[in-house]
Amino acid sequence: MTISPETRDLAQRLLTYEAAAGKSSMPLESATLRTYERLRQCIVSFAGVASFQSIAVRALMLAQVEVPSLCAVQVSANGSLQGFSDSEHRITIDIDQAGNQQSGEDPPGEAGSIFIAWILNLLLTFLGEALTLSLLRDAWPDATFDDRNSGNGRKA
Amino acid sequence: MTAEDKVKINKLPTGVPGLDEIVGGGLPEFSFNIIAGAPGSGKTTLAHQFVFANATPERPALYFTVLGESAIKMLRYQQQYTFFDPSLLPGSIRFINLSQVVLEKDLGAVLEEITKEVTKSTPAVVVVDSFRTMVRGPQDGMDLQAFIQRLALFLASWQATTFLIGEYAEEELRDNPIFTVADGLFWLRQTTERNSIVRKLQIVKLRGQASVPGLHTFRITDAGVQAFSRTFGLTASRRSALGLKRLSFGIPEMDKMLDGGVREGDSVLVAGSSGTGKSVLATQFIAEGIRLGESGIVAVFEERPQAYAERAATLGLDLEKPQNEGKLEILYLRPLDLSVDETMHSILSAVQKIGAKRLVIDSLAGFEMALSPGFRADFRESLYRMIFALTGIGVTILSTVEVDESFIEFPFSTYSISFLTDDIIRLRYVSIDGQLRKIMTVIKMRGGNHAKDIREYEITSQGVVILGTRLTNYQGLIGGLPVHTGRSAAQEDALHDSEIERNS
Repeated sequence: MTISPETRDLAQRLLTYEAAAGKSSMPLESATLRTYERLRQCIVSFAGVASFQSIAVRALMLAQVEVPSLCAVQVSANGSLQGFSDSEHRITIDIDQAGNQQSGEDPPGEAGSIFIAWILNLLLTFLGEALTLSLLRDAWPDATFDDRNSGNGRKA
Repeated sequence: MTAEDKVKINKLPTGVPGLDEIVGGGLPEFSFNIIAGAPGSGKTTLAHQFVFANATPERPALYFTVLGESAIKMLRYQQQYTFFDPSLLPGSIRFINLSQVVLEKDLGAVLEEITKEVTKSTPAVVVVDSFRTMVRGPQDGMDLQAFIQRLALFLASWQATTFLIGEYAEEELRDNPIFTVADGLFWLRQTTERNSIVRKLQIVKLRGQASVPGLHTFRITDAGVQAFSRTFGLTASRRSALGLKRLSFGIPEMDKMLDGGVREGDSVLVAGSSGTGKSVLATQFIAEGIRLGESGIVAVFEERPQAYAERAATLGLDLEKPQNEGKLEILYLRPLDLSVDETMHSILSAVQKIGAKRLVIDSLAGFEMALSPGFRADFRESLYRMIFALTGIGVTILSTVEVDESFIEFPFSTYSISFLTDDIIRLRYVSIDGQLRKIMTVIKMRGGNHAKDIREYEITSQGVVILGTRLTNYQGLIGGLPVHTGRSAAQEDALHDSEIERNS
């Protein structure tokens, strides 16, 4: 199972939107948590805690294949995310210590982007593009979403 | 109090084809309704259709899900229906999950949550799916009846039309205090009849307006629930005046036997055993109508439309051209689990589409076989409703029926349906001079002075051809084994006249 570039792009745009919408000085992992929290509230509202929690757990497991350090992250019974900040911090330190932060390497925040992309991927699988984008519009009323294949008009 | 003084109850479209007719024109606005039925009977789909038909951004619909089917899965499946418009979510239709409240709190908290959301959005439509799963045990502070009473009061005040969806078994219908609160009670049934599934819908109660009583069949297709009213959607139609016009068969001698032809709006039964030419006669009836500018429908059950048209072509009758010109439709109806109401819906749609004046049902035996086994028991009653409805709007129906050939009796039909028909034409084989020949006679013609003659006919490349004059020099023709009397027609007539004189 893979995530399409469009879905990765959509996740990245949501994170960027959250980073910009919040204080610009905020670290990127906060943008991930804020994005996650908005998704959680939106999905819990229409599908319930249990539905969201199971989707989040599944997305986390799939993301861990690409980013093993996400193994430290857990989804609690109410769907909230635990241990994510620590995980992001560890990724950043690893990259710095290896002196590897050069062009082409995963930047810090990539773990969050992959995790959010997997959540979106599951929503797209279960609900289809039209309903998923409707949900995102509801969660981010100020953002503009067209379809995933078009960057036109998409502010997030 | 005059009619003007009375409060006007608006009727909302149900979004379910056929259901508006059944509920008396639409669902009463601000009514509090319960949709009950077994799992898989179509309750959620019906509620979704109502929601999608009525929700607007100004007056949205709130769809509360409780325990049971996951909302994500529900939307995954529901969006497959053609009525599902994702652009209405979440602006006009909002799905709200209450499972956590139900699991952690009591019905009072659920009511509070619904009240909060309704107050916030002032919805036109509220659905609670499934309200029955809210009752989890005796520890609940508020019982279900009290909950529903308070919910009904609240939602009526907030001018919302409401559907509560609940899983109920048939035996729970009686003496259930929950149902007394509801303004409308929709009961969906699903039963297995041998290898077929039969779905039926009943409006058990509906306050404020008259609904069509009884069980109505419905089907769930890609378009969602489609209901078929027992009145076939013709309750608003006025019955046509009795027709004076005579419809020709295109066979002059036969028209003479029928006192000029079949009276418009009649139901004609052509009965005979296999090979006597019932279908040929039916095809000639339709073809002559088309020739005279009267569009027609042929409902076939035993052969494909193409084969039917090809067989007509061997008689010199072109059914391809009128089909292409929209003057003829050949309907092939044979899915083996049809209800008469569905068949009727297909026929009626075709009648309305092309303005058909003549309808051929070829044959009643094939029609019966196409029905689900459960509907076959009601075949006579259904046929009565169908014939009454169609002739009522001025359509002339010719049905063919196969009867077992007997040489000791003269049956008209195996269905005991002759009382349903205005006219009966009987075809049969007779053994004459070492040949198996064919004879026809008009048995009955309501309101017409039909010929009493027994006529011999043949099926030729021109169709049915009636031969010579009436058969006079035989006795016992209708028994199939006539005796040659050697008397001429003139002698027969003289004998007949003297017999009348003697008895008068």
